[in-house]
Amino acid sequence: MSPLWRDEVAIYLGPRKLALVRRARGAKPRVVAATVVAVPPGTAGDTGPVLARLADVLTDPTWHGAKARAVVADHPWVRYGVVPCPATPLDAAGRLTHARYLLDDSYGQAVADWALTLADTPPGQSYVACAMPATLRSALADTLDSARLELVSLQPQLVVAFNAWRHRLPADDSWFVTVDDASLSGVHLSRGAWDRVHMARLSADWSVEIERLQAFGRVTQAAGGAGRMLVDAPAWMRRGAAAGAGIEWLEEGAGRGAPAHGLALLQRMYA
Amino acid sequence: MRRLPRPVRLDFVAPVHRAPVAGVGLCAVGLAAAVVLGLAFDRKLAERRRLDAELGAMAQPRPSAPSPESLKSAAEVATVQRELDAPWTLLLAELEAASRDSAETISLLNVEPDPGKHLVRITAEVRALPDALAYLKRLQQSTVLRHAMLESHERRKDDPQHPLRITLSAEWHT
Repeated sequence: MSPLWRDEVAIYLGPRKLALVRRARGAKPRVVAATVVAVPPGTAGDTGPVLARLADVLTDPTWHGAKARAVVADHPWVRYGVVPCPATPLDAAGRLTHARYLLDDSYGQAVADWALTLADTPPGQSYVACAMPATLRSALADTLDSARLELVSLQPQLVVAFNAWRHRLPADDSWFVTVDDASLSGVHLSRGAWDRVHMARLSADWSVEIERLQAFGRVTQAAGGAGRMLVDAPAWMRRGAAAGAGIEWLEEGAGRGAPAHGLALLQRMYA
Repeated sequence: MRRLPRPVRLDFVAPVHRAPVAGVGLCAVGLAAAVVLGLAFDRKLAERRRLDAELGAMAQPRPSAPSPESLKSAAEVATVQRELDAPWTLLLAELEAASRDSAETISLLNVEPDPGKHLVRITAEVRALPDALAYLKRLQQSTVLRHAMLESHERRKDDPQHPLRITLSAEWHT
């Protein structure tokens, strides 16, 4: 197999759930293996349990010898910020410093030692900054090494979900919300770009959370006019929601056989 | 066409400065341009080879029979060449040395080279025949000359001292 066409393994890392999809590449790319496993609960924010579970799963040769693309659940391991374009042009290091200052201002010292990266954005526009625990990447790479998996990509859930659903989203005045694993991440779109990001931890009672989501949608519409809210959520949650409540569910295959949400996200990466 | 939100290119591992479709497209266009350029260059090379061949055929001199003038000229050139090829410096030095060795007895009158035969003819006067033979012997010992011989000798009666005029010849080494 050509190194350019090596198989890929997409991995979703959540605090309660781990999903893997192996995709054979070549002339006809196809998914050759997929699995979802529960992760034993640990300390909030601790990546140890999910990486230990990943190490267990990777003992299966099914997953060996491929490129690895990892998607990390937004909560509790990712923080976002939309950084306005500075008045003075900055180089790459200056943009990073500016973004870190703003993230520290929003999230406090908790993210001071986190790894920070910026989205590739045209000059003169605000840009998305994203922080992740600094040790996550190296710990993940070490875990993957044992299965001869080369980490080629590490992205947060909201970015992956947004890019996967982008073709269904309006470019102006709308909210895109992705819900999974007891957390919610929402981004507001204006003129085709992110201008606000919100994250929230959800309770175990989904009916309450749906009502909150619907209320959030109503408030948003009242504040700014005809804003729409498009939600990427697990199939079971969509089925339980009341129709026509100001929420547009993003769904492809909402039947009972639909895959778990993390797995569906990975599969949509390859759609 | 409906405007889509811009994709968010953000990754903690992979470089985000990517444009895969545009990159592949540009690569394909570049390869196609290189192939077209290569073919055009090959055509030009072939044309150049063809023109060179035509030019070579036109410039090649046609064989023709030599004219009497050209033959004469060639003979003159050959003569001059032979004269230039004669070892004048060595020959004159050798004759000068022989004359010096026999300075009391011989008087050189004329040295006439024949480059075509590599032959030098010497005319001199001596008082007596033994002097002429001694000079001949001296020339025979020379490393520059060979086959030195006495061609003629004649007593000059018109001269009050009655010297003996001799003519010697010798070949020079080539």
